[in-house]
Amino acid sequence: MGIVSNIKNNPGRLMSGNGKRSVGFHTPTTPVEKILALLSRYREASILVVAILLVIYFQIGSDGQFLTSQFLSVVLRDTGRLGLIAIAEVMLMITGEIDLSVSSVFSFAPYAMVLMANSLGVPLVLAAIISLVMGVLVGVLNGVVTVRFRVPSLITTVGTLFLFQGLVVWINDSQPIVAPIQEPFNAFFGQNLFQPNDSLLSWHSVTAFTPFLWTLAAVVIIALVLNRTTFGLHTIATGSNIVGAREIGVRTDRIKIYNFMLAGGLAAFAGIINTVQFSSADPQAGSPFLTLQAIAAAVIGGTSLLGGSGTVVGALIGAFVVATLNNGLVMVGAQATVSDIYLGAAILGAMILNVQVNRLRARRRI
Amino acid sequence: MLHNTISPPLSNDAPVVLEMSHVSKSFGAVTALVDVSVKLRKGEVLALVGDNGAGKSTLIKVLSGYHKPDAGTITSKGRPVRFQSPRDARAEGIETVYQDLALIGDLSIYHNMFIGREYHKRVLGMRMLDNDRMRGMAEEYLSTLGINIPNVNSTVDRLSGGQRQCVAVARSIYSSPSVLILDEPLAALGVRESAHVLGLVQKLRREREVSIILIVHNYSQIFEVCDRINFLHSGEIVLDAATSDITEEELTRTVKSGLGRLLRPEERAVPMAATP
Repeated sequence: MGIVSNIKNNPGRLMSGNGKRSVGFHTPTTPVEKILALLSRYREASILVVAILLVIYFQIGSDGQFLTSQFLSVVLRDTGRLGLIAIAEVMLMITGEIDLSVSSVFSFAPYAMVLMANSLGVPLVLAAIISLVMGVLVGVLNGVVTVRFRVPSLITTVGTLFLFQGLVVWINDSQPIVAPIQEPFNAFFGQNLFQPNDSLLSWHSVTAFTPFLWTLAAVVIIALVLNRTTFGLHTIATGSNIVGAREIGVRTDRIKIYNFMLAGGLAAFAGIINTVQFSSADPQAGSPFLTLQAIAAAVIGGTSLLGGSGTVVGALIGAFVVATLNNGLVMVGAQATVSDIYLGAAILGAMILNVQVNRLRARRRI
Repeated sequence: MLHNTISPPLSNDAPVVLEMSHVSKSFGAVTALVDVSVKLRKGEVLALVGDNGAGKSTLIKVLSGYHKPDAGTITSKGRPVRFQSPRDARAEGIETVYQDLALIGDLSIYHNMFIGREYHKRVLGMRMLDNDRMRGMAEEYLSTLGINIPNVNSTVDRLSGGQRQCVAVARSIYSSPSVLILDEPLAALGVRESAHVLGLVQKLRREREVSIILIVHNYSQIFEVCDRINFLHSGEIVLDAATSDITEEELTRTVKSGLGRLLRPEERAVPMAATP
């Protein structure tokens, strides 16, 4: 469990080496305290419970249709897309910043990739790398404007959101373009080759989940970076106490810019996977709603909006919850529009729970 | 500028380890330091006194690389240096305990101890944090210092003010700096903890010849541990005296008078109660 969060309080270590009770720390005794302690120790715990309850609910409500590979591939595809953007937001939110422009990069990068491949004959792999770099460069722009010109990132990224969304719509008169198919690139990055009569253990079955598997890989890598590298340590330091971090020699400006670059790159990657999946580059593929859902996933997953703490595993589970609500409600016969009501209520509920658990923790020193 | 400066005892001819000459620093319209020169000798404990807003914290933040001076130079061990960030100053052997302690509340105690100079290990060719090593070293070091910290895994935001101050002090002396700057290190400490930190300061000077700059508001503590006093008033050093050349009462009256200079003998005769 070590890598999943940056919470350092291991219950086994509450006792000091010589067996004496640690001074100033209350060891939980009653069941309520134990649950609270668990919830506050592993921020992922509460969202995991919610996710499991939702799966059970939809599995029963849909007469066993939820846990089928066909339906799960749709839920996990959406989870993957949201999850990639959510973990990008987690890293930025830990530094105390936010990026609202990711949806425009999500549209812009794959559109540029397909244009390069179609009109210039650039191989898709190369075009994908170039558009990833473009996404990273948008991150540089966001970071530099935020850090050097001291524009709050909320405003900076609203600016770049419109800027790049406007650009991608303007390039080709808002026309979606058909993406070329070049194997094995497409099979690797999202094209679903699964047919209903294919074996579940086949390569085709794996392709049904490629977007999710890429996201899973990204989550593992980012979780390691966050909790096991100097960069991750300095990212937490930057958001937790920016003045103190500077005083002790953390290059907070650079850390922020790097995290903006990471966000741009991840958004571009998510966009590329999405385009490969649908074999079409839509200039309006990413709406600001996508960003907001990703932020919601990060927040209900246990990431603080105030900076200093966050968990990418929680964000992935959060993305799963959002994707499950979006698809599951339709499946059990609700109107597509109803899912937003549940999502809204879930965000409010999760936030209230989060804040209250932290308050309890502070008061009782769980 | 008034010249009531008392020369420090000349017998002290230990080499100067850190020197700041003619440094000025303003923040927009606010002038924080005016042509300030400070010398710190090897193994010396220098007290920096002055009212709130006199420029003490700015002065030490220039020395620690946090602020860049507008004018003037800093010389470390005889070489001119230009600190771009506190990282450079730390690499030069200058450690600072800031007034706000510069601890990261969301990180564990041992990560706080090693932030900026983390230990790494290679895992599959990747440079990963060596948490086990840092945890072990922090545990060992804190217990050698006799600092009562329950558990190095807990986050700093769960510590008391005194414990935090101890962690900050421990971090700064861990790397055996040649210069230690302490900005009100005793502010949140109880009587016993203050004595402990002051004892630590004296021990460092005795055993490792560390040079120390100390900002303290309690003047009796200054006379307990310091060799020399620099009095900062409105961004200028107006008094540079050895503690042996001035009494606690004189210092108190001087600072209290708000005149920014050492009082003349006839002024000193005025009973303290008469000064506002």
